[in-house]
Amino acid sequence: MADRFFRRRELTIEEQQIRSANPRKEWGAVLKPYFLLVPTFCFLIIFTYYPLARLVWLSFRKYNLLSQDQFIGLQNYRQLFFINKDFGPSVKNTFVYTAASVTLLIVLAVLFGLWMQGERKINSLAKRVIFFPHIVAGVSISMIFAWLMNSRNGLFNQLLMAWGLSPLEWLDSSDTALGSIVGINVWKGVGYDTLIVLAALGGISSEINEAAALDNTPSHRRLFCITLPMISPQIFFLLVTITISSFKVFDLVRLLTNGGPGSSTYVMVLYIYRYAFEWNRQIGYACAAGVVLLLILLVLTVIYFKLVERKVHYQ
Amino acid sequence: MAEIRFDKICKSFGNVKVIENLDLTIQDGSFTVLVGASGCGKTTLLRIIAGIGPQSCGRLFIGGTDVTALPAGKRNIALVFQNYAIYPTMSTRGNIDFGLKNNKVPRAERDRLVSQVAETVGLTPYLDRKPNELSGGQRQRIALARALVKTPDVFLLDEPLSNLDAKLRVSMRSELIELHHKLKTTFVYVTHDQSEAMAMADTIILMDKGRIMQMAPPEVIYLEPENAFTAQFIGTPPMNILKLGGDGRSFGFRPEKGILSHERREGCAYCVPGRISTREMMGSETIYKVAVNSGVGDTGSVMIKSQDYGFRIDDRIWITVEDEFLYFFDRDGIRLRPGDRREKAALFAQVEKEAAHG
Repeated sequence: MADRFFRRRELTIEEQQIRSANPRKEWGAVLKPYFLLVPTFCFLIIFTYYPLARLVWLSFRKYNLLSQDQFIGLQNYRQLFFINKDFGPSVKNTFVYTAASVTLLIVLAVLFGLWMQGERKINSLAKRVIFFPHIVAGVSISMIFAWLMNSRNGLFNQLLMAWGLSPLEWLDSSDTALGSIVGINVWKGVGYDTLIVLAALGGISSEINEAAALDNTPSHRRLFCITLPMISPQIFFLLVTITISSFKVFDLVRLLTNGGPGSSTYVMVLYIYRYAFEWNRQIGYACAAGVVLLLILLVLTVIYFKLVERKVHYQ
Repeated sequence: MAEIRFDKICKSFGNVKVIENLDLTIQDGSFTVLVGASGCGKTTLLRIIAGIGPQSCGRLFIGGTDVTALPAGKRNIALVFQNYAIYPTMSTRGNIDFGLKNNKVPRAERDRLVSQVAETVGLTPYLDRKPNELSGGQRQRIALARALVKTPDVFLLDEPLSNLDAKLRVSMRSELIELHHKLKTTFVYVTHDQSEAMAMADTIILMDKGRIMQMAPPEVIYLEPENAFTAQFIGTPPMNILKLGGDGRSFGFRPEKGILSHERREGCAYCVPGRISTREMMGSETIYKVAVNSGVGDTGSVMIKSQDYGFRIDDRIWITVEDEFLYFFDRDGIRLRPGDRREKAALFAQVEKEAAHG
């Protein structure tokens, strides 16, 4: 019995040929793939795994870049959850921002995708136009929208007034600021997401739609029973990636409202940034907030994969 | 009652006219096979009937009603696609009763129909499986079941067997024939495979470049081809067509009508010497490719199907074809049917002259 496990596997003819031709190349052949992976792993270790470990390590320490850091156990977390009152609102704002962005982006991407399907001249133009904001830098977008949404002489308000509607406060009111930023984020991201939906829709063979036509399928049933299930892997991909990127929103908020008015657009990454780089450089404390952000994303992703992915139809 | 009638139908894709001014009637209850090389317009015709690739002009009648403006889903027809086009995200059951749900058939009725149809095509154990867990043959059956469950007036099948392996194809073939016999509905079947057409059809429509070359039962199309195209499309191997004189006329014979012998035989117009260049022993018969010098077209050889497997490659032999099995075609490839004796004699004299050349 034992020798069945210890006997060496018989070599295929190909392997025998390789060995008999180059007996010394054997080690080279084994090491080559690892060798090719070295650069990637170096980057991952230096720029991802080390910072991650350092983040967690620092979150248990008191450190302000100048003094020697010291271990303080869970003090940072205690302060985060029980002493400072400003962390809760930033988490809530981030969740609201993410939920709104995810919902709007996915719904709009699917609607735009369905609209831009097919070979029409306007579609090829529309694809370019809708993708364009994605390649513009966040800073430029912020500058443009700061003017468009200016509550005194911005274009949006002038248009509203021209149509006889009352002007909005946009970024200057705590009621509309977060919504305005969600709107800008959707405007910026919807092109990319639409392109992914379009590619997925293009993967549905025309025969499937013809079969549906022959089955006398009403259009709402075609959408919900055939089209959406068939593009569900891509929608799931969008769900996960939009969630993660929305949780990490920073540049738009920092440039447009800097968390205000009040704390209405105070989001988690801005919170981390302020404690780390603006307010006494409380690096350890900011790291604790960073760890919480990381854990929230981790838990959400696990939930997505456990609960939502069951409804995804991979082919 | 579901006779299909094309009334001056035409179809173009952009500037390319695929079908022009086509009149055609497909009999109610018939098993009609549209056959032709790829690009001949057979699938286009099928899609016109289905309503998923509507005609550019002309009118279409199914069972006497004008369906020209009727959408595909309302025509009460079923189409089995070449690549099945089953809904990959639905189970077998979901695929079969999707159309019923669309037509608001009550639940109990649906369940009854689905289990009945699943039984017919042998899918009962797989009703709750997803298509990607099933084999090609089983997916084919889903496509068939999805068509059957609608009890359509017309069954359209677009090369439904071409993705199956040879053995399964033959058994599905006979199942389809039985199914047609049982249902007695109109079947319109598209294939590029003439042997499939011969095996299944009770009417064959042979098409070329959007035109109908001949429409007839298999035996008629085989024994009485109206033109050289039909003669050369139908049969395995197809008819040997040879040049007759210099004016573009031709004559031909079926491979099984060529008699091979070591000695010259007398009394037939066509008797030529040749050399066997290939030999395919098929079991009940043997197919020889024979190189001949006279009268042949481009290939320089003719195919002979013989019960005698005794000839070998490079054997020098004689081919003889009895006069009654010779077919004549004019310069446009249209079948010549010599009426009087003199006309006939002239043609045979010409054949004899051609044969003597070699």
